Amino acid sequence: MGARNVLLAGAGERDLTKLAEYRAIGGYDGVPKALRLKPEQLIEILLASNLRGRGGAGFPIGRKASLIDRSSSKPKYLVVNADESEPGAFKDREVIARVPHRLIEGCLIAAHAIECKHVFIYIRGEYLAEFEILERAVDEAREAGLFGEVELTVYRGAGAYICGEETALLDSLEGRRGQPRPRPPFPPVQGLFNAPTQINNVCTIATVPSIIELGAEKFAQIGAASSPGTAIFSISGNVVRPGNYELELGTPMRELIYDFAGGIAEGRELKAVIPGGSSVPALSPDQIDVPLDYDSLGAIGTFFGAASLIVVDDRCCMVQLALRSTKFYMHESCGKCTPCREGTRWMVQLLERLEAGRGSYDDIALLRSVGSRMLGKSLCALGDFAVYPVASYLEKWGAEFEAHVELGRCPYDGESTLEGIVAPSDAHAHHEVHA
Amino acid sequence: MAEPALVTLTVDGREVSVPKGTGLVEAALAAGIEIPVFCYEPRLGPPVGACRMCLCEVAPGPLKPQAACTLTVAEGMAVKTALTSEMAADAQNATLEFILVNHPLDCPVCDKGGECPLQDLTFRYGPGSTRMTFPKRTFEKPIPISPTIALDRERCILCYRCTRFSESVAEDGQLVAVERGAASMIATFGDEPYRAPFSGNVIELCPVGALTSTQYRFEGRPWEIQNVPTVCGLCPVGCNISATTREGNVKRILSRNHPEIDEGWLCDKGRFAFQHLQALDRIDDPLRKTDAGFEPVAWNDALDQAELMLRAAGSATVTALSGGETVEQAYGLARLLRVGLDSHGAVLPEEIPDGLSAFRAPLSSIREAASVVVLCDEPVVERAPIVDLWIKAARRAGAEILHELPEQPVEGAVLITDDAERAASLATALGASAAFYLPRTPNGRGVTDAWSCASDGEPTEVEPALVVISGDEAALDPGVRALAARAKAVIGIGMFAESFAGVANLVLPGTSYLERDGTTVNLEGRLQRQRRSVIAPCPDELAWVAKLAERFGVELSPHASTVFEEVSAICYGGISFGHVGEHAPLPPRAIAAGPLPAPTPRPPLAGKGLRLLTYKPLFSGPAVERTPELEFQIPSGEIELAPVDARERKIAAGDQVTVRSNGTSRRLRARLARDLAPGTARMPRSEAAGLHDHVEVSK
Amino acid sequence: MSLLFDRIQAVRERFPEGARSAAIPALRLAQEEYGWLPPEALREVADALDLTPAYCHAVASFYDMFHLEPVGKHVVEVCTNLSCALVGAQRVVEAFEEELGVRAGETTADGKVTFRTVECLGGCGYATVVAVDSRYHQHVRPDGVPAIVKGIGGRA
Ligand SMILES: Cc1cc2nc3c(=O)[nH]c(=O)nc-3n(C[C@H](O)[C@H](O)[C@H](O)COP(=O)(O)O)c2cc1C
Ligand code: SF4
Ligand code: FES
Repeated sequence: MGARNVLLAGAGERDLTKLAEYRAIGGYDGVPKALRLKPEQLIEILLASNLRGRGGAGFPIGRKASLIDRSSSKPKYLVVNADESEPGAFKDREVIARVPHRLIEGCLIAAHAIECKHVFIYIRGEYLAEFEILERAVDEAREAGLFGEVELTVYRGAGAYICGEETALLDSLEGRRGQPRPRPPFPPVQGLFNAPTQINNVCTIATVPSIIELGAEKFAQIGAASSPGTAIFSISGNVVRPGNYELELGTPMRELIYDFAGGIAEGRELKAVIPGGSSVPALSPDQIDVPLDYDSLGAIGTFFGAASLIVVDDRCCMVQLALRSTKFYMHESCGKCTPCREGTRWMVQLLERLEAGRGSYDDIALLRSVGSRMLGKSLCALGDFAVYPVASYLEKWGAEFEAHVELGRCPYDGESTLEGIVAPSDAHAHHEVHA
Repeated sequence: MAEPALVTLTVDGREVSVPKGTGLVEAALAAGIEIPVFCYEPRLGPPVGACRMCLCEVAPGPLKPQAACTLTVAEGMAVKTALTSEMAADAQNATLEFILVNHPLDCPVCDKGGECPLQDLTFRYGPGSTRMTFPKRTFEKPIPISPTIALDRERCILCYRCTRFSESVAEDGQLVAVERGAASMIATFGDEPYRAPFSGNVIELCPVGALTSTQYRFEGRPWEIQNVPTVCGLCPVGCNISATTREGNVKRILSRNHPEIDEGWLCDKGRFAFQHLQALDRIDDPLRKTDAGFEPVAWNDALDQAELMLRAAGSATVTALSGGETVEQAYGLARLLRVGLDSHGAVLPEEIPDGLSAFRAPLSSIREAASVVVLCDEPVVERAPIVDLWIKAARRAGAEILHELPEQPVEGAVLITDDAERAASLATALGASAAFYLPRTPNGRGVTDAWSCASDGEPTEVEPALVVISGDEAALDPGVRALAARAKAVIGIGMFAESFAGVANLVLPGTSYLERDGTTVNLEGRLQRQRRSVIAPCPDELAWVAKLAERFGVELSPHASTVFEEVSAICYGGISFGHVGEHAPLPPRAIAAGPLPAPTPRPPLAGKGLRLLTYKPLFSGPAVERTPELEFQIPSGEIELAPVDARERKIAAGDQVTVRSNGTSRRLRARLARDLAPGTARMPRSEAAGLHDHVEVSK
Repeated sequence: MSLLFDRIQAVRERFPEGARSAAIPALRLAQEEYGWLPPEALREVADALDLTPAYCHAVASFYDMFHLEPVGKHVVEVCTNLSCALVGAQRVVEAFEEELGVRAGETTADGKVTFRTVECLGGCGYATVVAVDSRYHQHVRPDGVPAIVKGIGGRA
């Protein structure tokens, strides 16, 4: 286990944004190989590789492809989720910026598996430079005749985290407000334009060419048995060398934090790691020997999520961390489901009162209760994402919340790293609500 | 079609079998169990699952509460509602708590109070007290989103019923949700009013007091009012309505869902125009023309004078009917005039096409059509508004909408036309599975039936000595006015003096459709029952017509029920008044008459510029003009253009444009209509005087 | 007619499945033309796509990158989400406030720059991330702010 370049293979040595360079290392060879196979054979290979989705839930791509209703008379769509907006995540961005052709090659192969003729890549609007790189790569590949009968459209979002949720993404792609849809019907049956649709994360799709190249069996041997392959881990926060590291799944978290990222910056103490982007339960320092794979992280009560670690040192007030995080989810709640829309705002109100030193023990209890009443109640997991981290802070750092009540002020006394950031500001986008 | 297969499941342990595809909310209902809902409303299209009120425990399924409204039944499914599942009860309680955290508790001053689903469900499933101690979200309130509708955003629970109606039923796209998350709110575009023919339905859809009627605000509490089930009398659709009355006045009109006719929708005219009952110029007493205008006369004198006028004219009397009368009123008048005076001359409101009863079907059949052929000179919505909603529903269901007669018959096609003369032959040529003629008047069919069954006498060609005008709409009709001008004397029957000024020598007060008992026949050919919701400020027409008839030796009952039975014996198969129930059925189809000749083609219209379509607007006429809240809906000083034509001429919505034809030129405001075919322009007929059928439009 | 109309038609053609899909790209084009999305812009987009202005407003107001209020010629955005915040985004915000003389959410008096704080820009490992007219500056520290302000508008 350890560092291994699969997704980013070759990108250190060459400028793989150029088609010629990518082809020089065997790029796009997977496409004719895949096209010689029948879709069901290709799906078999994907199933055998046991490649699990990198977008968060870890659902195997082969299973997803096999759910596509290929008998439908409607067109089938492949949609690549490049909305990457989870705080802490910046891995998809790196793939697009450095190996766009690998993503495109993955699209062409995956499209064949589900008999899709039109692929959409939905990229978050803020990624302008990456959009330009991707568009150029798409044009280059199209002009080189690599697309065959397939069309590929890169669609830019316009600033909404919720559009990373697959059904909200579809609504957005249809030109609507990006709000999640009820499931069933699931996208493989009724997705984009009501047609069967497969949705995958950038890293999932960009991994597909290596499966074709190596063969499913060899691929499955990389990484952890239950989670084969590599993942690009984004690590940020209070570490010496933040950035992206492509590692085999199963690499211990400690290695990533201390060996690759150089440990905690400025000689501080590790306080917490939020391992999957800001939406998952945080781990305490005694939990970081966990292998970085779906099942191991699941076993200790958190999630693999977006493979994005936010490392927090001992200067940070956990109430402030909770407040900042919850404000984000409140801001991003689409407003469709009652528990998420109202609950995130209520949580912010409670956290603001606690942070200001005006809260009570009842407020802490209420915060717990509001959170638990939000869990699992909405169409998508955004509301849960607001609750998971905060519930873990309450569980593991509950004393800090109580200290705010006890002292009638923040125990960090203006010295927390997040001081100031959490103050109300009108500065966000137009729909800011004051809690 | 084969019967759908049945699926058996349990709801709170009760076994129930329902057709495959049934939603859980309906399945529970079949088991006698109510699953509470806010956003769920199947008439608005697929469920959205937004409010999370309907959370239940469903097995098999994930171990968390499921939104019942978005699920359909499966064999062996076990559904547990709040009645038997702690998880569901807690989930529903949580949803209500979340809904209430920002909902003002102003129930005592809220119009919805007492008939509010949120209030009811909170009472049954909600938390007893609030744990929310922060200031609630505030908005400027209430804001008028139109002169008829007020919006209180603080009360809104964001169920999206109103916006889904606007987007997916009326398809007007004017009422939307803007912003995001907790800042989301319902809005129209900027300060523009929600100006659309069906806007008022959102008031009834709103499950809280967020969208309220400006007419009804603070007008009555649920325990002070009565709802009278009746039928709208303002257009030939005959939507089923409830008239809410308080202290003898109509306070609002609600829909009373007839699934075959209106599916619970009303147009804004039907909903709001009842204000005309209380118009200041309402005629309460008979009026006699003097040199100084009308003056009131006592009833006995008025009847004496009417008798004199009728005797003087005898059979040289012509009767002009408006088509707004009930069957009984029209029959009463017909008996008086045709039997009492032997005067058979009449201006009937409509030409009713023969042979269409072989294509009779409920309006709801339009939605099932494979294609809908609309052959109308006037916009459907202006003439029979709800029919437009059915056509839209058909298109959403996948039907093709055609505006020309296909060359070959089309399987499963439905015809909708306002061409009385050719209706039956068009339907035959199309091989239509159903056909609808859109009459101009609300009860033109019933009035024609009543008139013709009152006597067998034939009209003789005479110069009219006396014209009897029944109804304000008839009195305002240019043709009737021209006829009246030729007569020596005119008797009018109507509600408003202004309609008869300068026309009638004697005016007898008329009632409105909300003030009388009787029957009407809608455009499907369905007999429906109008019920007196409030007492008119004047005697019922039948009462005094019966008295007059007696003076001419004609026996006529003053009671609608008795009169109806007389008519029914002749032309409605003898059914009794009591049988014309609250939800009237459609009579069976007639056997098709022999083959009909192919429809005569109409000469194509050619000309330079845009073809001008003129029509009688839905929002026009005496009732609308006397409803101040509807003034903004009246198309006046406007011309509608197709967006393409507007763009070609560099015209934007709201621009002043010059409309020229036939040497006439007019300055009008441009309005863009997405439903208008390129190359055409549209404006109310009453404003198009002097314009030819083709116009040049420029900025 | 207008150039915008034609440009929107070109986008529309790329979505044979549904013209609505062109709504977001069309709003972006309109915003490029107007600088923000005034009611006229929303009307123009609506006309070009056979949608209603209210619909366009509904969509535009859902997304953070559409401006429904006038903004300066340039927009400076600082990420203040967790990763940036943990390593001092607040100091960067303060440096911009000082340098520009406006608070977050405001526009400079000369109308040149709107300054706002935003949610995660996806540059967490290169904190603090600042976007000037959507072009990222990474690893920004308070002492780097004056140079960024000086360079605003200098590079397209
Ligand atoms: C609120 C929310 C935000 C999400 N954001 C993203 C995202 O930015 N990128 C992503 O790939 N998946 C995101 N997901 C997960 C997607 O819904 C979906 O599961 C994923 O794109 C599937 O791809 P995969 O099978 O390749 O993992 C999000 C989910 C939720 C509930
Ligand atoms: S105004 Fe009423 S109908 Fe519309 S979203 Fe709000 S609560 Fe629902
Ligand atoms: S009724 Fe089911 S979510 Fe609203």
